[in-house]
Amino acid sequence: MSINNMEKPLIQVQNLGKKFGDMEVLKDISVDIYKGDVVCVIGPSGSGKSTFLRCLNRLEEPSGGHILFEGADIVDKKTDIDKHRQKMGMVFQQFNLFPHMTILKNLTIAPVKLQGKSEKEAKEQALKLLHKVGLADRADAYPNQLSGGQKQRIAIVRALCMNPDVMLFDEPTSALDPEMVGEVLTVMRELAEEKMTMVVVTHEMGFAREVATRVMFMDGGYFLEENEPEEFFANPKNDRLKLFLSKVL
Amino acid sequence: MWEKLRDDFYQNFIVDNRWKYIADGLQNTLKITFFAVLIGIVLGFLVAVIRSTYENTHKLKVLNWICGVYLTVIRGTPVVVQLMIMYFVIFSFHDPGQVFTAVVAFGINSGAYVAEIFRSGISSIEKGQFEAGRSLGFNYAQTMWFIIMPQAFKNVVPTLANEFIVLLKETSVAGYIGLQDLTKGGDIIKSRTYSAFMPLIAVAVIYLVMVMMFSQLVKVLERRLQRSEH
Repeated sequence: MSINNMEKPLIQVQNLGKKFGDMEVLKDISVDIYKGDVVCVIGPSGSGKSTFLRCLNRLEEPSGGHILFEGADIVDKKTDIDKHRQKMGMVFQQFNLFPHMTILKNLTIAPVKLQGKSEKEAKEQALKLLHKVGLADRADAYPNQLSGGQKQRIAIVRALCMNPDVMLFDEPTSALDPEMVGEVLTVMRELAEEKMTMVVVTHEMGFAREVATRVMFMDGGYFLEENEPEEFFANPKNDRLKLFLSKVL
Repeated sequence: MWEKLRDDFYQNFIVDNRWKYIADGLQNTLKITFFAVLIGIVLGFLVAVIRSTYENTHKLKVLNWICGVYLTVIRGTPVVVQLMIMYFVIFSFHDPGQVFTAVVAFGINSGAYVAEIFRSGISSIEKGQFEAGRSLGFNYAQTMWFIIMPQAFKNVVPTLANEFIVLLKETSVAGYIGLQDLTKGGDIIKSRTYSAFMPLIAVAVIYLVMVMMFSQLVKVLERRLQRSEH
């Protein structure tokens, strides 16, 4: 924390709000995310944590506030959001791989079409990353031929192929069979060790405790508590967090 | 029996080169169908994109409204009536030829149905696909083009093929504007020879063979598209 405060945050969320009709899902959220942070956002379902994450790359249109990322206000309609999204990788609960393309094509299409990389260059990078997650032999397969855990590892690689500055994870293990959760978390843990900045919405308390640099608890559209993981889980202060932890741990 | 059939055949197709009515008619039928399909695909694609874009983003409001009117009018009136209006009303001041008129009328008609087929294809693709594309940095059009359309197209191939089969058969009303298509060709022979059996059965068989060949072609295409997913 002490060192972090000296730097400028990578993402600055200021007074972020989001309404769906009359329903206020996010209420006045302010948070700074620094380079190298691994922020785990936990909380009951419907608390607004996914909405918060999806506002960060404007998949969800915020109703108010500012999100400053690399010199631009993401919320501002004039901002070229497509350009900034290239620097914000996202991993979804449902993987969302492109079923009509091979794995390799899934990984190379964005770098080739958006970053002007040659097919060869993109392929080399994709294969290198595939190798790292142990799926190099599946490059020519189609997504339907893979298990859930494999799909999610590919989805992570797909986002990484754009060389993002931050990775957003929206409950990346929630749709997986229990025996496949580990392989995905392992990849995420390695990413964290390489100092990738990550924002992770998750129900995996073990992961949050071991890998996160900061854990935040969201409920009712607010961040109610934030702390380093050890303190967060050992000495929760907020009553609702205490109740939540007593149920999930 | 055999004698009579042979005589019938001779009377209806050989004498005065009457087979030419069928051949010329077939040519027109194919011409009309082919170009109407092209117009239908282009028009249907555009309308579908406009409608889906409006549904997703609430942009293109005016265009969407125009498309809505187009779909309602075209799908709410018989194609024969549209064809006759096209020939006797819209092109009444300047006759561009019956085949051209038919191509335009059937193309515009088919476009309305194709548009709805494409649109349902687009909306059948999971929202997550769209979000995945956008999250990588693709803009709306790129996401549509690289990610949504290829999947949507694959889904609608059978329905689309069916629409073209319907169109081929529907062109048989082209005779209403005095155009000599396949059906009209058979009809002319019938009126010359006063025998209905041979020319009409011949016409029916030719339609049937075309439809069967086309269906076969589509099956091959479908299989090839499917293969890329397994």
